Amino acid sequence: MRLLLLPSLGVIAILAVALGALFQYSVLAFVPGSLQTGGFTLANFRSVVSPQYLGSVWDTVVLSLATTALTLVVSYPVAYALARSTSAAVRSALLVLTLAPFFTGAIVRTYAWILVLGNTVVTWPVPMLFTERGVLVGLVHFSMPTMILLLAAAISHVDPALERAAASLGATPARVFRRVTLPLSMPGVVSGSLVVFAWTLSAFPTPELLGGGKVKMIANVVKDLALDSFNWPGAAAFAMVALALTLGLLGGLGRLAAGRVER
Amino acid sequence: MIGRAAVVLLVLFMTLPTVVVVAVSFNPTAIMSFPPAGLSLRWYANALGYPQFQRAAVNSLIVTAAASAIALLVGTAAALALERARLRGRHVWATALLSPLVVPGVAAGLGFLILAAGLGLLRSRLVLIAAHVALVLPFVVRSVWVSVKNLDPTLERAAASLGATPWRTFRRVTLPLLRPGLFAALLFAVIVSANEFVVSLFVSSRLTEILPVAMFTYVVNYTDPTIAALSSLFIAATLALVWIADRFFGLAAVFLLDR
Amino acid sequence: MTALRSPAGPPSGAPTPSGTRVVVELRGCTRDFGGVRAVDGLDLSVREGELLSLLGPSGCGKTTTLNLIAGFVAPTTGRVLIDDQDVTARPPHERGLGVVFQSYALFPHLSVFENVAFGLRERRVSEAEIRRRVGEALALVRLGEEGARRPRQLSGGMQQRAALARALVYTPRVLLLDEPLAALDRKLREEMRTELREILRSVGITAIFVTHDQAEALSLSDRVAVMNRGRIEQLGAPREVYERPATRFVADFIGASSRVRGRAVATDRVELGPGQSLEVRAGRPLSVGATVELGIRPERVVVAPPDGPRVNRIAGRVTRLTYLGAQTEVTVEIAGGASVLGLVPEPSPVSLAVGREVTLALPPDAFLVL
Repeated sequence: MRLLLLPSLGVIAILAVALGALFQYSVLAFVPGSLQTGGFTLANFRSVVSPQYLGSVWDTVVLSLATTALTLVVSYPVAYALARSTSAAVRSALLVLTLAPFFTGAIVRTYAWILVLGNTVVTWPVPMLFTERGVLVGLVHFSMPTMILLLAAAISHVDPALERAAASLGATPARVFRRVTLPLSMPGVVSGSLVVFAWTLSAFPTPELLGGGKVKMIANVVKDLALDSFNWPGAAAFAMVALALTLGLLGGLGRLAAGRVER
Repeated sequence: MIGRAAVVLLVLFMTLPTVVVVAVSFNPTAIMSFPPAGLSLRWYANALGYPQFQRAAVNSLIVTAAASAIALLVGTAAALALERARLRGRHVWATALLSPLVVPGVAAGLGFLILAAGLGLLRSRLVLIAAHVALVLPFVVRSVWVSVKNLDPTLERAAASLGATPWRTFRRVTLPLLRPGLFAALLFAVIVSANEFVVSLFVSSRLTEILPVAMFTYVVNYTDPTIAALSSLFIAATLALVWIADRFFGLAAVFLLDR
Repeated sequence: MTALRSPAGPPSGAPTPSGTRVVVELRGCTRDFGGVRAVDGLDLSVREGELLSLLGPSGCGKTTTLNLIAGFVAPTTGRVLIDDQDVTARPPHERGLGVVFQSYALFPHLSVFENVAFGLRERRVSEAEIRRRVGEALALVRLGEEGARRPRQLSGGMQQRAALARALVYTPRVLLLDEPLAALDRKLREEMRTELREILRSVGITAIFVTHDQAEALSLSDRVAVMNRGRIEQLGAPREVYERPATRFVADFIGASSRVRGRAVATDRVELGPGQSLEVRAGRPLSVGATVELGIRPERVVVAPPDGPRVNRIAGRVTRLTYLGAQTEVTVEIAGGASVLGLVPEPSPVSLAVGREVTLALPPDAFLVL
């Protein structure tokens, strides 16, 4: 029985080897003009925090934070409707609409935003395409399904009887939300925020296409270095940074979740 | 009712891009205007006739079919082992199997590229398929595992008491009852693999690239509605698959939202 | 079902002739789960054609014993034999048994017909033969019309009968039933009890079933094994277990009983207190001077007896009356503080009220010496 686990562990092992290769290259010297590598060095990681690239790293963090906050705010109402809706038809419809973007692929969704932000539908008062604003919109759109699903799951775990009880005790809907629903749905808020933040840090197609070369997040830097400059070691260092950030954040989330369960 | 209005607006926000894409795809001219100036299928013809897209579509078919099949076999075995075998540290193994979900695409992509170069496999599809299997595996495992969890082990005892060997019990009782979970897993695998972009961008060459990568290259270089047409086809295909899943199994079950 | 005895077999209730062969035997079986000993050095012999019940409270090891026989669980030590063959190492699908599970475990993705046919298909029986035998089995359990339905379309009682048919159709050596009637509501349970007994008798099969319901065990079985903490406390015919419990546990578990304590002043007399003594004829002489605990079943206690021989008359005061429909349970406190339970039929020939003084007569041969 236990042997049945082996093939899939083999697949994961292949991924682990690939990440190992990544790590290995991140500490090897780049030999410009070839794919060969030199000896051990920390130069690649130093360049991550160099003035040339630190801006990108900083932009990535700021943009991810903004995306997370904005996504949270716009997703909560939809998640609430999804979790609390009494009609199965409404719930199905919301679910389909929430999930369909999930599966139409990054390119399709990003391309759609190229059209919308590029003055095809409306002429924007300020330029949207190829700016950070545009990338932000695209990222929020990209993150909404995940956030909605995580929030909806958490909200549905909040017993509606508690909300009714609060109302019966004299609380207005706003206060019920602030004092009962929101605090009790916090686990979902936290996990949703962490997941969206972590994934946005590594976002690639949205800034690549909507940023038009002007908005560089960590993932874009990796691609530039790796596929345009063939600087695999340099790219590897940035990729390791993205990997470490993501693992750290989501590992922390796991620890949080486990801690909550134990309590 | 502010809440109701807000939800409607947000839902519109979420669906607006799709609507625009589909509308623009019918535009008779190369200028992307919304609403479209007329109705034309020329961009659909262009998309379907474009050689690189055709090659990429074939690649997508090969890679997605291979990766989904492998992932389904491997993932189902894993789900059965996770639920039924007496494992110490079951959650450690489960986390390991779900780990591809947390790896950033660029990290996995570059890693696989370096690996492929090191193995001299830059021209082959093997690494691409292997990468897809790894990326799709968590979805398969999760789907099937939920199904296995809902399987009453007494049924398998009953089959044994009636004289069925473990293999026949699996074939006659376990497998049929797992079918909904397996279909959901296959659906996930196909959709995720078919749309996979970031890792595939790193790992494929012009000969082996799959459709999303080919579309990316096109968008970067050209600005006509061909991609809109191709995107609309993608959207239609995905909606059809999702609709089928809902018809047969109910969306909530497929996406593991019912407890 | 041609291999089974025809319905013109032994009538229901006929005792199994002793000296028949042993079909299932457990020798010194012990089973540990982690630190818990579920079954402790169990010896059991099940005779051909008998209905034997394993009766006991939850945790007594009865289900584990059944699982040992079925092969779902292996004994830590000891052996399991079927027809004198050691099957301890044999997996469940090779033991040729039939099992009826508490949850019925009907395959939800198969029709009732296919469920019943399952065991036959594993035995490579021909299609025509399958159709015939499944038809017979369904008719036997009165589900003849339900073959095409799915299990979830059947009521609880019907599902139970389907599970029975499925286990019987291939004429297994032994039928094992795990709390077969537990999931049914009371009325249905009583109906099914009789029906189950008739079916098993008419088929003439050896059956072992697990239950925590003593009424079920007493009414269905030829022999009852009362289990506690992994051991069999008493194994015998229902009447024997009820009327002559071998241990205190059995006396407490089966049927109700009141307890009085006293000192044996003669081999047939127990003194409860000053001026109060009882004649006790319990089959064996009492040891003079020893403290004795006596049990007596409520149905043997005579409440407010008519005038007559004054053997074992005790005065007391009614402390509680519990109306049970067909009877009323009377709790009487006697001198010395002990409470004795008695039963009066309804409508009651005597008028009773809480606080009223009443006389009880306790027949000397009704006592259980604990």
